[in-house]
Amino acid sequence: MALQVDFTRLAQFKYAIINVLGNDGYPYSVPTEFQIDKSQRILLKRPVSPISIVGKRAGVLFNHIAAIPTGGYTDRRYMLIWGSLVEDDGMLELRPKAMSEWDEKILPFPELCAKAAPQGQRYLEGLHSQVEA
Amino acid sequence: MISVPEWVRNVFENYLICEFTTVANNKPVTFPLLYFYDANSGKFTVTSSILFSKKILHMKKNPKVSLLFSNPAGSGIGKQAVLVQGMAHCDDSDLDHGWERFLPQWRKKEPYIDAFLAEREKFGWFWKRIVVQVEPKRIIGWKDGDVTSKPEVFA
Repeated sequence: MALQVDFTRLAQFKYAIINVLGNDGYPYSVPTEFQIDKSQRILLKRPVSPISIVGKRAGVLFNHIAAIPTGGYTDRRYMLIWGSLVEDDGMLELRPKAMSEWDEKILPFPELCAKAAPQGQRYLEGLHSQVEA
Repeated sequence: MISVPEWVRNVFENYLICEFTTVANNKPVTFPLLYFYDANSGKFTVTSSILFSKKILHMKKNPKVSLLFSNPAGSGIGKQAVLVQGMAHCDDSDLDHGWERFLPQWRKKEPYIDAFLAEREKFGWFWKRIVVQVEPKRIIGWKDGDVTSKPEVFA
């Protein structure tokens, strides 16, 4: 089944962050501009980079927060799309293969916490098994 | 401690969040995270609830991580882009209290956090938190966020 990306929501982000692994094993991240063309291809402006990012398996993060005048931030949302980066006429096309996303206006934070309870349970069980061993 | 120019230090001291990347099965996994910066040691700290602990499992297998500072929202300073690559150390020896020493810095970034703390029982597992300290190994900076120019590298 093809990956379903909500391009209307994706287009609302202001910039993208390309994340790949460098040859030294460290993650490498760089922000860049992006656009969605008429064929719903995600095209990233190619940044000047000390490491090669073309052809690499990448995770591209689209993230948003809005500042609160009295301090802090709100309106948290992100889309993280994994895929390959293919050179296309000076741009980089992201070909999506998997994604993870959260928008607190769609899934409020308390509900996100409730949904994540099994992960918390597994973590605690992992700690307990270490102690018992 | 890696020496960096003032514009980079300003980013570390004023940005609210970073984009934090771990490595899982040779794949980068990146999420926005609140961070704390210690100007004396040059080290960064993030904390993670056990609810969102996959990144901790990643770091226990592979401690190589990165923090990108690209979003100036709420910081009061301008757009920059700084990448910190480093080694992470996860401490889950005191899930209930180990993270509390970062509350003063947390309050500065999110003044409303005490309202959540007041409901600590309701959000019990959110407040079981692992402390992750990151020691920078390399810092890469694009001044004014201009990624069309060659970045400065500090190591």
